[in-house]
Amino acid sequence: MLKPTAGALALGLAAALAASAPAAAQQKEFKVGVIYDLTGAYAAGGSQAAAIGTQIAIDMINERGGVEGYKIVAINADAQSKTEVAINEAERLLNDEKVDMLMGFFSSAHCVPVAAKVDAAKKFMWMNVCVASAVLKDKNLKYAFRGQVHSDQFGEASCKFVAEIAQSKLGKDVKDVRVAIVHEDGPYGAGVAKGNKETCSALGLNIVHEEGYAATATDLSALITKLRRARPDVILHTGYNPDITLFLRQAKEAGLKWKALIGHGAGWAQIDKLRETFGKDVDYLFNVDPVAAQLLDPKTLAPGLGEVIQEMVKRYKEQTGVNEVPTHASQGFNQSWYFFTDVLPRAIKKYGGTDPEALRQAALDTDIPEGGTVQGYGVKFNPPGHPMAGQNARSFPVVMQYIGGETKIAWPNSIKTIDPVIPLPAGHTYAP
Amino acid sequence: MDCALDIFFLEAVLNGVLLAGLLALLALGLNLVFGVIDVVWICYAELVMVGMYAIFYFYKMVGLPIPLAMLLGVLIVALAGIILHVVVIRPVLDTPPINQLLVTGGVLFFLQAAATMAFGIDFRNIGVQFGSVSFADMYFSWNRIITFVVALVIMFCLWLFLRRTFIGTAIRAVSQDRHVMPLMGVDTRQVYLVTSAIGGGLAGLAASLMVLQFDIYPQIGLQFGPLVFMICVLGGLGNMVGGFIAAFIIAQFITIGGSCFATEWGYAIAFLFFMVMIFLRPRGLFGGKA
Repeated sequence: MLKPTAGALALGLAAALAASAPAAAQQKEFKVGVIYDLTGAYAAGGSQAAAIGTQIAIDMINERGGVEGYKIVAINADAQSKTEVAINEAERLLNDEKVDMLMGFFSSAHCVPVAAKVDAAKKFMWMNVCVASAVLKDKNLKYAFRGQVHSDQFGEASCKFVAEIAQSKLGKDVKDVRVAIVHEDGPYGAGVAKGNKETCSALGLNIVHEEGYAATATDLSALITKLRRARPDVILHTGYNPDITLFLRQAKEAGLKWKALIGHGAGWAQIDKLRETFGKDVDYLFNVDPVAAQLLDPKTLAPGLGEVIQEMVKRYKEQTGVNEVPTHASQGFNQSWYFFTDVLPRAIKKYGGTDPEALRQAALDTDIPEGGTVQGYGVKFNPPGHPMAGQNARSFPVVMQYIGGETKIAWPNSIKTIDPVIPLPAGHTYAP
Repeated sequence: MDCALDIFFLEAVLNGVLLAGLLALLALGLNLVFGVIDVVWICYAELVMVGMYAIFYFYKMVGLPIPLAMLLGVLIVALAGIILHVVVIRPVLDTPPINQLLVTGGVLFFLQAAATMAFGIDFRNIGVQFGSVSFADMYFSWNRIITFVVALVIMFCLWLFLRRTFIGTAIRAVSQDRHVMPLMGVDTRQVYLVTSAIGGGLAGLAASLMVLQFDIYPQIGLQFGPLVFMICVLGGLGNMVGGFIAAFIIAQFITIGGSCFATEWGYAIAFLFFMVMIFLRPRGLFGGKA
């Protein structure tokens, strides 16, 4: 008999929530339209983990009595990893289900059009995972907010990390370090790659190859052949799945070698799944992402957040049976948690309700210092008129390294938990 | 543009030849079915997906040896081909082509949803890799070499079957005129069933080779389906030899285009070539059924 899947668990959560709604008929309800990709290629790439993280946050909030007399009612929708479905579901939730706000969103390809539409309709949207800077850059959106890191920061982080370790780990001047930038060509991959290119160029790293490809490509052998010709020391890769596994598999078969491979979130964050497929071959990979909450020292966080993280991790492991709680779970949980504990109470108490205008004003008032969220960063949204209006100005990613199936923080130095292993140890499949 | 005629370029060309083997095998079954039954199985790549999951199930979950798991995969998809014909195709055989497209399109979404329900959304793989062979600083995957050889052998076997056996001759006769042959005593219902089983079996065979190279997930059909359909149309829908040659042409556009420009340009050039050729030769490079 097949084991119940995480997808079934997520659907079960949704059904349980729907079934419990009538029992709480006496309590006021705050209806949240939660959109993630529960099926399709993005689901296993981290969307489902984020969906479970968000659902855990909502469950924990309701178990604490809700928010200012409101019970949080999630109406879950599956975007099916298709942009047109995400748009249709957003419209259905807002117009038919009459939700008070939209939350979630894994793919930047979904966020770009949905954010523009929701903002034009003056409804409220809270993005938990999608990272492309293009979602908000120069759009001056007023009702769309993102506490998450944006893709320019992903691109910056990996290049700064490489520049910092060039001499000590690679034994080269920064200008002599050969870097290849490889990415899926959607808004997410292209956005991160743009940040890579700008920062690596500014730092003087030698970019020897840059190329995008469709995440659904059936063959990456030509790309890998070109990488062999370019001989990069470091490969900066941004992708989903199945392109990441196709890349790693064909790279192995084609004898492509590197000293360090740095992924940027999405498929690279699913280390348990990559390890199932590639075993020790994925040891020593790096991944740039907002940090998984459980990796932080709770003493560096605001009082009480350590216990919140423990509970989130415990519930996630119980529901999914995984060893490593992926960062996407933290992302889905974190954005939801401080929305319900900081923004929504303020909207109700200070701005008198839960309408989009009250939510927007409350979001703009948010002022959480560093250490005030379970992912360590603070929250302060850029105001209207700012080039990145609606973006959290205090979020930041970290560089993590996978060693022996465990995730360690390699950068920034202030919170790192290991001395990063570069270059790959001799005998590793991809070691030069 | 980086099209230096060095050893890496030669590697790209040869990898294109190997990729063509897989694409040709995928096109073979679809062309056979269209050539004989005159119906396009839009869900063909989803049948491949069913075969991949079947092999995964028997190998990883039941623990059967991989050759036996692959054999069962081929048989299951062959059976699926028969069921598809009896349950879905036969009732719409004499209706307009759009109806046939719609029902097989419905099967496509049904199979994707069924796979999601049965196996979840995780990417699966059987964890079997044969490594690669290297010479003159070029690397070639054994999986791809095996796929290429199998595609050639199967093409030859199918040709022998259609030329040298009674049922093969009947299949060719029906493919030439399915309305006249019943008047001459040919049982077209049986011919269609055999053709559907072979078409399904070829999808199962492709699945056996693809599990060695790709992850298994419910939407993998969308990764290959459009490309395979384009190859069939380019070669002349229903023309098995044409489809085989078209697979090599398209694979070279993908790999050489990807090698000289960007990976995506390889696909863009292939599709551009396809569009131009359809304008110039609407029935495909090699005409219709053959």
